[in-house]
Amino acid sequence: MKKLSSMLGVDFRRMMTSPLYYIMVGISLVMPVLILVMTTMMDGTVTVDPQTGVETVMEGFDNVWQIIGSVSGNSQSMSMGLTSMCNINLLFFVMSVFVCLFVGDDFRSGYVKNLFTVRAKKGDYVLSKTIACFFAGASMLVAFFVGAMFGGAIAGLPFTLDGVTAGNICLCLLAKIALVAIFVAIYILASVIAKQKLWLSLLLSMGIGMLMFMMIPLVTPLNAGLMHVLLSAVGGVLFSFGIGFGSKVILAKTSLV
Amino acid sequence: MNAIEISNLTKNYGEKQALAGLQMTVPVGAIYGFIGENGCGKSTTEKIICGLIHPTSGSIKLFGKDYTDAAVRSSIGVLIESPGCFPALTVWNNLMIQATNLSLPNKADAVREVLTLVRMEGAAGNKYKNCSLGMKQRVGIAMALLGQPKLLVLDEPINGLDADGMRIMREILVDVARKGTTVLISSHILGELEKVATHYGIMRHGKMVVEMTADELERSCPTFVALQTKDLATTKTVLEKQYKQVLTDEQQEFLRVYDAESAESVVKYLYAQGIIVTALKTDKIGLEEYYINLMARKEGK
Repeated sequence: MKKLSSMLGVDFRRMMTSPLYYIMVGISLVMPVLILVMTTMMDGTVTVDPQTGVETVMEGFDNVWQIIGSVSGNSQSMSMGLTSMCNINLLFFVMSVFVCLFVGDDFRSGYVKNLFTVRAKKGDYVLSKTIACFFAGASMLVAFFVGAMFGGAIAGLPFTLDGVTAGNICLCLLAKIALVAIFVAIYILASVIAKQKLWLSLLLSMGIGMLMFMMIPLVTPLNAGLMHVLLSAVGGVLFSFGIGFGSKVILAKTSLV
Repeated sequence: MNAIEISNLTKNYGEKQALAGLQMTVPVGAIYGFIGENGCGKSTTEKIICGLIHPTSGSIKLFGKDYTDAAVRSSIGVLIESPGCFPALTVWNNLMIQATNLSLPNKADAVREVLTLVRMEGAAGNKYKNCSLGMKQRVGIAMALLGQPKLLVLDEPINGLDADGMRIMREILVDVARKGTTVLISSHILGELEKVATHYGIMRHGKMVVEMTADELERSCPTFVALQTKDLATTKTVLEKQYKQVLTDEQQEFLRVYDAESAESVVKYLYAQGIIVTALKTDKIGLEEYYINLMARKEGK
């Protein structure tokens, strides 16, 4: 337990003293502002294809919370339009970049040599990385949420939505935060498989992440209740332990350098 | 007791055998110079000792215990290939990270102590990526020294260092060994290694060819008479009539006679043949030459 807390201390110290974390949180904060303001500016703009003559009407967001999620039962929840693609769920991909860089740095810098020579437990390492990256992922989601409110205010979009209360929105965000554990565990697994090869860890993360991506809007609707949060949390814990065990086995069975 | 005892260690990478039944003994308190050509298995051995890769078979004991023993493993300091530092962090933060990993009670004091030991007190605030190669190697040594390890494993720590950097590294190693730490150091810079090592192990093709102390090396290295004349070629022909082992040195400046009784006898012989010796010295072959000769013998040259 002492070793785990030491390792957690190291991971948080590293995270807080290197620019990567702040850059990622900064991107998460700015991204919704840009998305909301730009799509609102372009809302209703008609573009005509000069060759075919087909007209395309740009559609913006009708509501601030649309960028956080969609109401379950709403057909838009599975649509592939701009407003349904450019939302908070994009962060689950951005997180993969953070996790792959953060964990991959351990291998590229040779830090794992120092760490595992002095007999750090592989399970502690995976758990510590999962907790640290979960914290980072959660901060990115919160930053995006804050950015969405700023962006919405700047773009002049409405903050009220029929059938959705402030409590629902908070629960929706909490459910998404709980899901971060699953994605982080996947990205850590990809990183320990790829070790020094950043391109491989990113490729694996994006590939596996893509398969899981469609699950996010289904499990975390904007009108989420406690059950959604509970399900996401249980899923997050179970998946992260299961996938984390896989990462531990890979670390134990393969060469670390 | 020995710090490291390796017996019948093998490591296969698919079809390729990196270690083929390695036997190795490093006494406690030794500075063990680990020598061998590239790809002979030195780094593989060091990585296995540090638990970074798994051996195919064989046994490794560190201080009498299995190398996987947690207590033993926590007393190893390591610098393999490059120091495991994060480029964007300062030297101080990198060392604090390792001090935290080791759960040291007084982290800041421990970091200050190792920084003093490697003569880097003034560079603690520098970002690691801005350090020179010599400084980076010293940070690596400092990191390895945190927690006062009983065994220090260093893989090519003096590669790329300038003369001053090598001198500092030498002083650090002697300091560390004086305090009772066993040092396993691999290097291709044999001249430097010779200045600090108390023991040697020479590897070839995944096996130990010879292990010896510095004294044994000293006794194994033959003395020779080196001389200069105005015409080295003629002198060599004349000397070869009297002596069996006459060679010209690498710089083509001196003739070396390995089987002469004394320098005086060589000078007298040449004088009798009408050749005047313009410079004369007696010397011993060093580690580098010993190693080259040994490898040549093993290859049957």
